[in-house]
Amino acid sequence: MKRLDTDVVVIGGGSTGLGVVRDAAMRGYRAVLLERVDLGQGTTGRFHGLLHSGGRYVVSDPGSATECAEENAILRRIQPGAIEDTGGFFVTLAGDDPAYADKFLAGAAATGVPATEISVKEALRREPRLDPHIQRAIEVADGSVDGWQLVWGAARSAMEHRAKILTYHRVTKIERDGDRVAAVLCRDEKGGEDVRIDCTFVLNCAGPWAGQIAEMAGASPVEVVPGRGIMIAMNHRLVNTVINRCVYPTDGDILVPVHTVSIIGTTDVHETDPDHLPIPRNEVQQMLDAGEAMIPGFRKARALHAWSGSRPLIKDKRVSVEDTRHMSRGMAVIDHSKRDGLLGMLTIGGGKLTTYRLMAEHIVDAMNEQLGEDRPCTTADEVVPGSRDGRLYTVTHRLEDREEDRLDDPIICECELMNRSMFVKALHEQPDATLDDLRRQLRLGMGPCQGGFCAARAAGLACSEQVADAERASGLLRLFLKHRWIGLWPILYGQQVRQTALDHWIFAGTLDVEHLPQPEEEIVR
Amino acid sequence: MSDVVVIGAGLAGLTAALRLARAGRSVTLATKGPGGLQLSQGTIDVLGYTPERVTRPLDAVAAVAPGHPYASIGADAVGSAVSWLAEALGPDLLVGDASRNYQLPTAVGALRPTALAQPSMIAGDAAGGRSYAVVGVRQLKDFPADLIAGNLARTTAPDGSRLAAHSAFIDLPARRGEADPTPLTYARAMDDEAFADRFARDVAAVAGKADVVALPAVLGVRRSGVWRQVAEVIGRDVCEIPLPPPSVPGLRLYDALLGMARAAGVRFIQGSRIVGFEAADGGTIASVTLAAAGGPRALRASSFVFAPGGFESGALDVDSHGAITEPVFGLPLTATDAGPLIPEVYWGPHPLFEVGVRTDDAGRPAGPDGAAVHPNLYVAGGIIAGAERWREKSGDGIAVATAVRAADHITGGAR
Repeated sequence: MKRLDTDVVVIGGGSTGLGVVRDAAMRGYRAVLLERVDLGQGTTGRFHGLLHSGGRYVVSDPGSATECAEENAILRRIQPGAIEDTGGFFVTLAGDDPAYADKFLAGAAATGVPATEISVKEALRREPRLDPHIQRAIEVADGSVDGWQLVWGAARSAMEHRAKILTYHRVTKIERDGDRVAAVLCRDEKGGEDVRIDCTFVLNCAGPWAGQIAEMAGASPVEVVPGRGIMIAMNHRLVNTVINRCVYPTDGDILVPVHTVSIIGTTDVHETDPDHLPIPRNEVQQMLDAGEAMIPGFRKARALHAWSGSRPLIKDKRVSVEDTRHMSRGMAVIDHSKRDGLLGMLTIGGGKLTTYRLMAEHIVDAMNEQLGEDRPCTTADEVVPGSRDGRLYTVTHRLEDREEDRLDDPIICECELMNRSMFVKALHEQPDATLDDLRRQLRLGMGPCQGGFCAARAAGLACSEQVADAERASGLLRLFLKHRWIGLWPILYGQQVRQTALDHWIFAGTLDVEHLPQPEEEIVR
Repeated sequence: MSDVVVIGAGLAGLTAALRLARAGRSVTLATKGPGGLQLSQGTIDVLGYTPERVTRPLDAVAAVAPGHPYASIGADAVGSAVSWLAEALGPDLLVGDASRNYQLPTAVGALRPTALAQPSMIAGDAAGGRSYAVVGVRQLKDFPADLIAGNLARTTAPDGSRLAAHSAFIDLPARRGEADPTPLTYARAMDDEAFADRFARDVAAVAGKADVVALPAVLGVRRSGVWRQVAEVIGRDVCEIPLPPPSVPGLRLYDALLGMARAAGVRFIQGSRIVGFEAADGGTIASVTLAAAGGPRALRASSFVFAPGGFESGALDVDSHGAITEPVFGLPLTATDAGPLIPEVYWGPHPLFEVGVRTDDAGRPAGPDGAAVHPNLYVAGGIIAGAERWREKSGDGIAVATAVRAADHITGGAR
């Protein structure tokens, strides 16, 4: 068994965990982050890409509204490469109560969320696909954010501060020394060995899986209720501004332009198992209706992919009231010392991607307090690697880059303008990665053809670059196709049926991938 | 006014038009685009999997389940339709027959069964412990030689012999200053004898020992026999491996069929969609409506062959509520709700893609009772229900056999 020694083990490689490990490392703690799969593969990668202006909460949750507005401004400064400044509109649709917009404006003024009413004519000029019958429109500072770029930026920053980020490390056991956490045991899934990490503190940031982690430490049960929501990516940017419905927050009322697509979301249904999140047909229909209400003709547009994510909502009556001072709104910190007599462990639930940095600050403050340390948070001041040119992302960046290198470098994924060098560089940086892991960072196969043309090229390059033999490369291709399908079958209609048939002609018809010699063991990671 | 209007320029439409024209009928072929052949692998698949790998396709055709497009045609008619096409195209384009499948390497290194192939491909037939030197071109991104060779080297051929393979690359731009060439760029370059010679010499220098040198299917598009020239220079058999679209071997078939159909007098209307029809008494189709640039135009004929393809061409549509329709004639389909036909798992059957038009024995669209809905309308190819063609490797055989059936019924030549 491999042994490591550290101050803090952070469990969970979503935005919360990455925010926390970065924060802890920047305060001088030795920190190790454990993630059972790849970074941002859970809730963080399964949202609609909205960087909240705070507008959504100005009436329902004023505290959150203020936090969102403040964090929105901070993230634009420290992680601009992950954020696109799309701006946002709150629109009152024909059947919606126009008086809500007045409450909204009053709430915005009270919470410090920048908001300005604009004329319907101006809103329609800027977003001509909007339903021409809208009654009112308010402009806010929404943006869109790439959750994977966000967590990888935080991860690279944490690594600069000497944190270790261990992906594909599944926690198997949390050992105690009496009433104190002593070590975290995990399985290196790719390396195939067990690892023991001695530590003084564990920060449980496992989101929907936090209950399972708390149980491993022998804490009394933490009830996590995964609140599932589905999202659908539409073929292109039906809008270039985030469109919110100006009503009390409800299902399916946000359309977010992200990269080359626009994403509609979301529903909210309680689930029991965060590893099995369905994409029910009725919810797909509900999203299409919601889209149609904002953008007439929405149902005629092409849906590319659907997914389901779960909000990590913690239901716990035993959280003591004094803990609330450590809480970002919508966030719950469980101090196991008070609740279970277990020292050296905090469990975090709830929260929002937009406020992930602030949540991390609160959590690490709480750890500081338990450890009797006074180390101030500096995460709002330092720009993360990859964003240091200070440029906010724009959807045309890749086009601009390809204009520069098009005569030297072939495009591997035409839909997302990913060239060979980008892919090969990532392959060598992460030789153990699956094509899905690389997809999250490079957007391989995320465009209209959903991997139809690029997936076999990617597998071929993995082989030629000698990071995989033919058996593994073929397994990676098969795994990628299998995974793409999870988000395709629920929205298979219209032009995407044509695309799928073409893709089937390529993979089954021409390449006969199904009849490649079977690997001795199916590649699963 | 023609005797027959054929809709669609894929393998089915072109085959039907050619056969009708050669039988002396006046034929107008209307098509929106250039058909699906350029998306195909350029072989004539008859039946490759049932789902077991098929070595004798006509025997397997004789045993298909009722409801399969072949079921009402029969193995003999399928065999003779395919032979007719092969004779028409000649041995420079197609060799083999429907009684036996070749097992040819694909561009990921799987073995793919097909009945008739282009002569440039068949040296790849996997049998007798064949050894392959798979040679790629660095600039050509759709031919991953290492992956192909790696997979072939771990393959046992259907005859039980173990294959051997190794890979190599050459570095040869097709055009100066082009970093991202398509297969077609190379194929056009190969039409120049000097380029093909240079290519062959470069390949010979790196190929190493093997029974056959496997190359991307880019050995010429207009000039035939480029593969012979290359094989002579290398001094070894060569086999072309088809690539994902745009497919050069598919384009060769398309060009040849188009040329023959034109020579036989078929009149082509390209670039416009057929969007509707007018019916006379008894459901007889009087004309189909062409959405021409200047406005709708009626194309009249005595008979109509509808060969628009399937879901891939949009000839079968699924709306956002899951309703499956055939938008031009509103033909009855074998299923109308896509929802239950789309499985959650990728590997395995996807029954949605078996949905289509059912036919009577003459190849006319039929209702659930089996009776033709329009007495002078025939269907051919991908629109016909009953087969997931890419899985079975049956798309070309179905297209050819149903096109010939329709043509022969129209000309009274049907047995």
